Amino acid sequence: MVDPLIVFRQVETLTSDLIGISLCNDQNFPLMETMTGGITRISFANTNNLSIVLKNVPYSTVYHKLRQDKAYNLRMIDGALIQMMYRFQNNTIVAHRLAFFPSPDLLEFQNNAEIYGEDDIYADVVMKNIVTTPIRFDFDLSDNAVVEIHHPSSHLTIGQYTNCRIPVSAPVTPFNFINFILRNFYNTAHRKFSSDLTHFTDRFLDTITLAERNILHIHFA
Amino acid sequence: MITIIRGTTRKPTASQSLANIFSSTPELTGTLYLGYPVIGTPDGAFPIDAIWINDEKGIVIFNLIEGRDASEYDVQQDDSANKLEAKLRNHRSLMKGRTLLVSVNVITFAPFIPISAIETSHIDGYTLCDESNLIHQVNLITKNDQAYIEALAVIQSISTIRKGVKKRVILNQDSRGAKLKSLEESIANLDNLQGRAVIETVDGVQRIRGLAGSGKTIVLALKAAYLHAQHPEWKIAVTFHTRALKGQFKRLINAFHLEQTNEEPDWNQIQVINSWGAPGTSERTGIYYQFCEQAGVEYLDLGGAKQIYSRGNEFEGICEKALVDSNNKKITSIFDAILVDEAQDLSPAFLRICYQLLTENKRLVYAYDELQNLGSSSLSSPEEIFGKDTNGNPLVSFTDSSDGTPQQDIILEKCYRNSRPVLATAHALGFGIYRNVPKGETTGLIQMFDQSKLWQDVGYKIKSGSLSDGCDVRLNRTDLSSPKFLENVSENINDLIQFHSFQNTEEQNTWLAKSIENNLSNDELQPSDIIVINPDPITTRGNVGPIRKLLFSKKIGSHLAGVDTSPDVFFDANGESVAFTGIFRAKGNEAGMVYIINAQDCYSSFGNLARVRNQLFTAITRSKAWVRVLGVGENMKKLNEEFDKVKQENFELSFKYPTIEERTKLTIVNRDKDIQLIKTGSQNLNQLIDDITEGRLFVEDLPQEQIELFKSLLAKGDD
Repeated sequence: MVDPLIVFRQVETLTSDLIGISLCNDQNFPLMETMTGGITRISFANTNNLSIVLKNVPYSTVYHKLRQDKAYNLRMIDGALIQMMYRFQNNTIVAHRLAFFPSPDLLEFQNNAEIYGEDDIYADVVMKNIVTTPIRFDFDLSDNAVVEIHHPSSHLTIGQYTNCRIPVSAPVTPFNFINFILRNFYNTAHRKFSSDLTHFTDRFLDTITLAERNILHIHFA
Repeated sequence: MITIIRGTTRKPTASQSLANIFSSTPELTGTLYLGYPVIGTPDGAFPIDAIWINDEKGIVIFNLIEGRDASEYDVQQDDSANKLEAKLRNHRSLMKGRTLLVSVNVITFAPFIPISAIETSHIDGYTLCDESNLIHQVNLITKNDQAYIEALAVIQSISTIRKGVKKRVILNQDSRGAKLKSLEESIANLDNLQGRAVIETVDGVQRIRGLAGSGKTIVLALKAAYLHAQHPEWKIAVTFHTRALKGQFKRLINAFHLEQTNEEPDWNQIQVINSWGAPGTSERTGIYYQFCEQAGVEYLDLGGAKQIYSRGNEFEGICEKALVDSNNKKITSIFDAILVDEAQDLSPAFLRICYQLLTENKRLVYAYDELQNLGSSSLSSPEEIFGKDTNGNPLVSFTDSSDGTPQQDIILEKCYRNSRPVLATAHALGFGIYRNVPKGETTGLIQMFDQSKLWQDVGYKIKSGSLSDGCDVRLNRTDLSSPKFLENVSENINDLIQFHSFQNTEEQNTWLAKSIENNLSNDELQPSDIIVINPDPITTRGNVGPIRKLLFSKKIGSHLAGVDTSPDVFFDANGESVAFTGIFRAKGNEAGMVYIINAQDCYSSFGNLARVRNQLFTAITRSKAWVRVLGVGENMKKLNEEFDKVKQENFELSFKYPTIEERTKLTIVNRDKDIQLIKTGSQNLNQLIDDITEGRLFVEDLPQEQIELFKSLLAKGDD
């Protein structure tokens, strides 16, 4: 059973590891709070203004507000922001939000590793139009939210498209998420430092339905 | 003799007339300001035309009439006096009970109104005069005891230069935190030279130079705010090299302008703008980018520039290209004044671009760190930078300012950031003053510039010997150029700057983490008081990772200064995180406690000796109070030994000034070398030597002239 403590340890350790390999320029200490009703929340210090993410404003505004308020677990070398938030009820997971918000202004690390490596002072002088894609892995068990196929309990949202909810086989652990982000968006660094990243094998139980399995979805064992 | 400081004014002729009278009357003493100060009132900015402060008569305000209209001059006088007195009464140093300790008189000076008109317009109790009776009127003012020094300080200090953003909680009066607090409070006013640098306005190019930490950025910000307050219709640009300065400038200009005018600056008129710039929002724009737009020439971003120019030369390259491309094009001037900070890191080509973007008065103010590039005078002369006009005359030349013209070339010799021991150490190590003489060389020096007078310009005094080729000399800094209070943060001089060698990186890192922990828990320091610098830019990421991880495990937040478009990222906005940085991003910043890690990289480096010593110099001079230089291995031990010699010499610089031959050789031997080129050259030579030794080739086979040429090159090298 993946309980809050396991998740918290993962977030803490992974934060520490990413600092150690210098892929992360800035970070918040993760927090675990227990509240009435047997609720445990795991997140970071500045969670006041997260609703901006869902408002109808340009992505650039969303990004800069989050950044200014330091509303993230990690700020990566190329400016991308990573959020990891979990909610448990009586030690069973009921919700999570795992988000990756790349910078709308800076060159992505993947395609420009040397510029970040050399720490060029003019690295932010960029002419080409950056196309950035925020992604979110969300999980929500509450009855009024879940609708088979249209709103799977665990799903992936690409960009800020409202009804984009690609089914995912189970809730995602911090390690699964960070590993996914590094492998796909910081690949060279991932391969170089994979031995410096602590591995966790914990898995949440599957929540995907049969019908959802029959359409294009994300599965991990 | 009077000191006249010429600011910018809308009444130039009357001002000039006033100045002439004062400078030709030798009995007058004190300071005369033209076009200064600007007083903030509930109704906005209130500029004072001219003000004379002296120790017998106190403050005399001159209201100037540029034309012939003297109507309501009495109302004007009341206004000026009341507003100025209101400002003065705010300062306890000028008050005794409810009484102001300095008298304020007002004279209206109207040099262009005929004397007959003056007599008819005269109102009792309100002095109105022209050139003929000005001095007479001045002499009529009663002499009194005046709080002259205090008044001067208040008038000069447009603002107290408060740096501390966060309030400090001090429980222990002897803690480092307490020392920093009193340090911040000591640096309250501008000194005379800085005050002059702010106010003196040239209708042309002006240069401000000084050591790192002499207050150039503040002077520039104050100047920009002052110009904007006096000329809200001007379009003013303030630009820089290091990203960190953007936020600083905005904050300073905002604060200073508010104080002078009681209003926020109009950011459409005064822009703090990047040097390079990119398309997009107004945050991203830059001088170079706007120039390309104006001239209709190709704009290149970093990626584009890297394809054409070699590493480190991208900005210079694109500026030169833009100038060439725009040669026959008409360029609309878009700025009335441009202020440039860190000009030594921006190329001369960039300054020429600024020159082109200015209206005909060419009001360009450029500031730079003297001795930043230790090897030579940091920046060329204006004749070299700006070139010649069509007649072959230099476009910009600095004339020695006699009475009558504002100063074009200002040197700030007082260093307010680094104490004497810290600065002398930085210079000693940067120049290699106490370095062991390498085999085959005649001096351990790494670099030395030609104009020896520069040492004195930046505040060193000759204690003994002479600054001439081949002569021994001993230089030191005095209380005048390095204020003593900077040293008082530590009881023991050896606490100011310390070197520590470690066996390996882990030891260094553990020591550092512990020391930072101690600073935060016992020394009453805040995270924003601490900077950790890794001098070698390439290894910064790799080196700081483990230390930051260690701090994270101790629940101490830290961040790495990196690529960013946010203007103010060096210090964490809430002051809760310790800043780690490579050398480039450290520039323009300062902190009470500076840690330099892996300093062994700065001891020596083939092909890079001047550069790495320069990096060490820059790192050390970031400190407002304490420096801890840490490193690993043999080279660190050697660096430590070099430092020990500085200490033994009591932080004085004692060396033999190199001859011109030695200086030339130094420039060659220690310049930034192209390693690849040297490798290839050496390989080719090896091949040739092999071929000849193995008998595949004979010396006689080669063309005679080639042999002779090579022989003569070898012979020259032996000198």
